[in-house]
Amino acid sequence: MADERSKVADRPDILEKPDILRPPKPAPLVTFPIDVIVPEGRQQTPAVGQRASRADGRLHGLGQTKYIDDMYLPNMLFAKIKRAGTGSARIKSIDTKEAEAMPGVVAIITARDIPCNSFGPSLQDQPVLADTRVFHAGDGVAAVAAETEQIATEALEKIKVEYEVLSPVLDPLESLKLETPGVHAPSANVYGHKIIKKGDVQKAFAESDRIFEGTFRTQMVEHVPLEPYACIAQWDANGRLTIYSTLGRITLGRADVARTLGIPMSRIRIVATVVGGNFGGKNEIRAEPIVGLLSKKTGRPVKCTYTRPEEFYASTTRHPLIMDYKTGVTNKGKILGRKIRLVLDGGAYCSWSETTLGKACILSAGPYNIDNVEAEAFVVYTNKTMTGAMRGFGAPQVCFAYESHMDDMAHALGIDPIDIRLMNAFEEGSISPTGQKLHSVVAKESILRAAKRFGWNGLGNGNGSDNGHGNGNGTGVKA
Amino acid sequence: MVTVTLKVNGKTRSATVPPETTLLRMLRDQFDLTGAKLGCDVGDCGACTVIVDGQPVNSCLMLAGQSEGCEVLTIEGLADIDHMHPLQKLFEHFGSLQCGFCGPGVIMSAKALLDANSNPCTQEIRDALGGNLCRCTGYSKMIEAIKGAACIMRGEELPAVK
Amino acid sequence: MKRRGRGMATMWYPIGFTVAANPSAAVVKVNEDGTATLLTGTVETGQGSLTILAQIVAQELGIATDDVHVVSADTDATPMDTGAIASRTTYVTGNAARMAAEKAKLTLFEIAAPLLGVKPSQLEAKDHKLMVKNFPQRNMHIGDAANHARMVSGQPPIGAASFNPETVALDPETGQGKPFGTYVYATQIAEVEVDDETGETEVLRIVASHDCGTPINPMLVEGQVEGGVSMGVGFALEEEILFDANGKQINPNLTNYIMPTSLDMPEVEVDIVDNYDPTGPFGAKGVGEPTLVPTAAAICNAIYDAVGVRVTTLPATAERIFKLLQAKREQQPKQLGTAPPALPGGPSDGAPAH
Repeated sequence: MADERSKVADRPDILEKPDILRPPKPAPLVTFPIDVIVPEGRQQTPAVGQRASRADGRLHGLGQTKYIDDMYLPNMLFAKIKRAGTGSARIKSIDTKEAEAMPGVVAIITARDIPCNSFGPSLQDQPVLADTRVFHAGDGVAAVAAETEQIATEALEKIKVEYEVLSPVLDPLESLKLETPGVHAPSANVYGHKIIKKGDVQKAFAESDRIFEGTFRTQMVEHVPLEPYACIAQWDANGRLTIYSTLGRITLGRADVARTLGIPMSRIRIVATVVGGNFGGKNEIRAEPIVGLLSKKTGRPVKCTYTRPEEFYASTTRHPLIMDYKTGVTNKGKILGRKIRLVLDGGAYCSWSETTLGKACILSAGPYNIDNVEAEAFVVYTNKTMTGAMRGFGAPQVCFAYESHMDDMAHALGIDPIDIRLMNAFEEGSISPTGQKLHSVVAKESILRAAKRFGWNGLGNGNGSDNGHGNGNGTGVKA
Repeated sequence: MVTVTLKVNGKTRSATVPPETTLLRMLRDQFDLTGAKLGCDVGDCGACTVIVDGQPVNSCLMLAGQSEGCEVLTIEGLADIDHMHPLQKLFEHFGSLQCGFCGPGVIMSAKALLDANSNPCTQEIRDALGGNLCRCTGYSKMIEAIKGAACIMRGEELPAVK
Repeated sequence: MKRRGRGMATMWYPIGFTVAANPSAAVVKVNEDGTATLLTGTVETGQGSLTILAQIVAQELGIATDDVHVVSADTDATPMDTGAIASRTTYVTGNAARMAAEKAKLTLFEIAAPLLGVKPSQLEAKDHKLMVKNFPQRNMHIGDAANHARMVSGQPPIGAASFNPETVALDPETGQGKPFGTYVYATQIAEVEVDDETGETEVLRIVASHDCGTPINPMLVEGQVEGGVSMGVGFALEEEILFDANGKQINPNLTNYIMPTSLDMPEVEVDIVDNYDPTGPFGAKGVGEPTLVPTAAAICNAIYDAVGVRVTTLPATAERIFKLLQAKREQQPKQLGTAPPALPGGPSDGAPAH
């Protein structure tokens, strides 16, 4: 023992870094029953169809689950990212000297430090940190690693960025016009286009008894996972980078980290075992390359957790849509043709816009047998928060449109909303707007079951309104 | 720096922290009680809910110094070496938690409710959870589990599950 | 005055990526005690996918859910997975897991068959045993077979497999093709109460009838529907990100970005439609995203039924509905016996075609 002590005493470089001598953190004080009872549902065979409880469900309720922000590695630093705060700007200069001099600040990086500053699941138009141009208010311009989260947050204030503020493009319909300056000039604002054509819509309209039109708009919303985005990076002496992250796509994440940091994939390990909600907002890398670089620069593990405001403006959101529908029907309610135009507000970067565009376009006609369909969709850049993957990829938006539209037609024609849908809905073997023969189709069954369970036709309490049905809307719906 | 001494889950604990440190940060960073979560840090989401002197509190809105001499109960203090708390048991049984991040906060709010009201109706449960945001579950199975836990805590049999 | 209304919406939603390859790979190892380990690259994001995958592997091997341990989300240790996205995990990763379990099972059949005096094709895995079809009394415990495989035959039962849905690229001019392997269908019906003086809407009840193919775990399907409906209610009535003239968000916080609390949520009744998709693992498809797709439309259709105004812009906040009600009152003639009010939807709405 005495020998060990004298050896350490001879090493002033170790003594200067007392963290190395600190014993590991004590085990979490979470008591749990040592007699483990396995719930019945989990013991039954056959397993499919069982209401089996989740193994992780028990740990969640006990508070035992360790999310990324609950992980503390020895000697770990905390990173925060400075955000542009304005939708469109040119970056003229970034001065980090005052911030670097702050006690407790260990390293600062900007775009210049990033080997390959672009990534993205389809178009690689997203930077890790903005270099000369800012395209949305949530663009990161610099990142700080410090001894505590608080010091890192305070250091952001001391970083001086000089912006030439430009006029942002905020309205997607404005952005669609050719004369509007390109957000990512010289590229055009329209960065995605999809078209589906089946049959002959003009002929169908000519043969229709009635034509209905409607325009519908949906708003930008955010996933709001209760757990904000978080990641931790740590290197070893073999040049291997381990990243613990809330990322939902680790294979793609690894590829993107390899690309942005310029290192081989085999040197990267991504671990994403526990996530507090994703809903699509954690499907591409966010701060992983940043913590990777800060960790390399400092020789220490670095953790970055998003604040709740960052979760709103520095991660992806749902595409707002502007949807124009025109439908031709017979007097009995049979849909003969449908023409749709969709404009997606594609935010500052592409992210998952291509997928959203495709899905929205394919699904836009609704689950209905329509022989003549023309659906055209555009996605445009704006200087707003990046729009990306969010639960539904355009489906909730177009469903709002086509089902509101359907009810408008039903009321005008004097047909029950259930009946008009049963008349037109897909069946087993129906052909979709893209010409696909559908199998395992239960659209009509779902309508009938829901109606029965709800009591739509006066069974149960379906018509239990104070004043009866149809009162107050003036269109004389038959109950 | 301020030194705080308080009772956490029945044990006397002490920490020396900067004065602006919240109770939440002290629990997580100093006492390694990471059950209470940081969801927003401004008292909107309830993921940091703990029970202080019998009342459910957003620990991100309470300074560590304010908890001097208090009795704090966190999620880690509910189970013991023999049993899970009925809330924890039924949350598991009914599948009330999905990602689990809001879980500790919700369970602590529910515990505070059941300590004050042994037979809450649905609306009373909704009120008690009103400050706990959940994005995954829609709250339905939580309400079911809380009703069931109240049953067990009253010494009654659990009604048949649907 | 509070008025009640009901509204419905039906939807379809695809499983998996649009045309693009989105494979998942899985490895299943059967342990010497008859339990198993599944390695999967998927990430558990809270939906319960790891439990579902355990149930699928357990079903294939004839063991219980608790007998399957799932290791996930580590690029070093688990095979690739395209990710928990596009509601694909049950279908794509589930298929891969089932196929991997099947390969391990076939190795065990090869081992057990001579011991039971039959051909491998005569065996099935049920109730922790490998048994001869129609003669269950001739069996051996799966653990014994696995142990024998390792210790005597030298063939550890490990299966690896991958799955990718079959698609056909869409023609760039006409969009014709087969973008997805399968789709799910659902209908939601909402009952709302609208205050015709303030425009405030309360959702009283939602019935959600969802198709997910075979429900691997009905409790988790219900959880997804209940959670999805809460997101749908928020999308319909409350949530919106607002920007100032500089493109900066005005409400990036949970004080001013309103999402449903326990007090905003209606009673949600979940109904699972009977269905079986032969292309999915044990007939299963998926359910994660479809759950919030029809909710906003159902609620807005119910609002129309209640107070006769058509919401065409979301969210249907009290302010929006109030303005629509005002506009409707102004349009309505004050005397009795005059023309009925204009129909919703636009000037050409309902006009006969030529």
